[in-house]
Amino acid sequence: MTAAPAALSLASTLQTTPIVEVEGLDRDFGAVKALRGVDMEVAAGEVHALLGPNGAGKTTLMRVLCGLVAPSAGSAYVLDTRAGHARELRERVGFVPSGDRSFYLRLSGLENLVFFGRLHGLRKRAATARAAELLASVGLADVARRPISTYSHGMQKRLSFARALLGEPAVLLVDEATHDLDPVAAQQVRAMTRERAEAGAAVLWATQRIEEVVAFADRVTVLDRGAVAFAGTVAELAAAGGGDRHVIRLGAATQQSLAELDRALGALGRLQPHRGDRADALLALGPGVTLGAALAALVAAGAEIVGCRDERPPIERAFLSVTGVEAA
Amino acid sequence: MTALVAEARKIPAFVRRDWLVLLSYRAAFVSDLLFIGVQALMFGFVAKLVDPDVLPSYGGTHAGYFEFVMIGVLISTVSGLLLQRVSTAVRQEQMIGTLEPLLTSPVSPTTVQAGSIAFDLLFIPIRMAALLLAVSLTLGLNYDASGIAPSVLLLVVFLPFVWGLGLVTAATILTFRRGTGLLGVTMSVLGLVSGAFFPLTLLPDWIARVAAANPVAIVMEATRAALIGGTGWDGIAGHLLILVPVSGAALFAGVSAFRAALAREHRRGTLGLY
Repeated sequence: MTAAPAALSLASTLQTTPIVEVEGLDRDFGAVKALRGVDMEVAAGEVHALLGPNGAGKTTLMRVLCGLVAPSAGSAYVLDTRAGHARELRERVGFVPSGDRSFYLRLSGLENLVFFGRLHGLRKRAATARAAELLASVGLADVARRPISTYSHGMQKRLSFARALLGEPAVLLVDEATHDLDPVAAQQVRAMTRERAEAGAAVLWATQRIEEVVAFADRVTVLDRGAVAFAGTVAELAAAGGGDRHVIRLGAATQQSLAELDRALGALGRLQPHRGDRADALLALGPGVTLGAALAALVAAGAEIVGCRDERPPIERAFLSVTGVEAA
Repeated sequence: MTALVAEARKIPAFVRRDWLVLLSYRAAFVSDLLFIGVQALMFGFVAKLVDPDVLPSYGGTHAGYFEFVMIGVLISTVSGLLLQRVSTAVRQEQMIGTLEPLLTSPVSPTTVQAGSIAFDLLFIPIRMAALLLAVSLTLGLNYDASGIAPSVLLLVVFLPFVWGLGLVTAATILTFRRGTGLLGVTMSVLGLVSGAFFPLTLLPDWIARVAAANPVAIVMEATRAALIGGTGWDGIAGHLLILVPVSGAALFAGVSAFRAALAREHRRGTLGLY
């Protein structure tokens, strides 16, 4: 019973210690500005989602942090060391690249992991044991001795994740890890990632799957055209999308116009046309207002409501809002 | 020093990796040996047409053409294969997508480069030596046994030269994404002026003078002196005095060029592009 507060204290301490620190980071590729003044911090024990549409700069930021690309300006520090080619740093950083091709296809999954394990300084026997353990943890034990050329994209991605864990990393950089995975495998990888974070690793998780960050990430940075469009918690991101919005379908018995119903709602919310459809209307709830209260007010004003659904998950709406897509 | 030892301990992992890859291409492995075997057989017959009097003598022994040419064939094959392998090893990693995972692993770029060719540095000379032994036993090559150890030393001293040359080509390939043309030209020029298949004295005077400074030609002549003339350690000392600094300089130039090319790619962020 006494362990819980201690664990909580450890978790809160971990989540305030910045392990990845990025300040004013620019990266140009000729005329293309892939990153523009990016500031970001990832704390120990935190899963930090890096969200953004294609071409937002997520992969470039990952590549800067793991030392594959040098910044054009600004700074990027990982574990108090400038991100770059320091071998000591690479011992403590695990990287899951976004691409599929990153293994020796003629070799088996086990042989590949043993090879990379030995690059971490493990002796052959220790590397084999570690590889077998990781293969089992990502559900590839049965195919461990099969050549990689026979693996599906999803299996290769899981193997890539296992490789990133070879050195018990203090920092885990994961680029689109669940892109090719089925829901079960994706959940498995997220659970393993969460486990690493709980063990104290700082996790930077790049994705364009918005729904994935809910109930998984602690904080989110949204990149848009190389710049930070939002930084905060998942709850804050969801809030940035505005309050709850629902699409309601009005029945034929509704005699009032939308303007009249909107006036009847008052401070409970706003009712507006939805995509030019006469039967549907968009109901935006006021702060602290429940859906039930708003619907009751509409029914009391004479509306016949035959259907109601979420317009979009708030997080998705927020993402579209902060990246300017919705406005466009 | 500890870091150096730690890095050196990673090299066997590369050797094992390449051994496993080689085993997965069994047909290519066998055909490679078959090709050189057929070449040896062919030169065995050609040798019957060549008058030994036109060939130089080594340590007072007149060379037979078969003995003469097999040294040329083996050294030029070793140089060619190694040059090709060194210059394309990193490019190959780039093409199959393993270069970035390697460079994000806790291993130095120099170890990646050295590791990528460690297997070939070991295996190609061993394979050639085994073939030479097989040809000697079956087709009757007449070499002086006292020349074997000096020849091995010559080869060991000569390999860094090829390695350095390969690294310069590798740097070019890493930078320009193409370079097989340069590789072809290098191999042709080195081959032509090496005296692998005919004595350098048959070349026009000015080319013969250039050829005499060619490290490939130097190692061939020294090996012939050791294996055909039985000149022993004394016979190769002068050659070693030239080869050691040349090989050292070539390796230094190669490592510098390769590191510069890698740093450039890092700055440009184009390491993964092919």
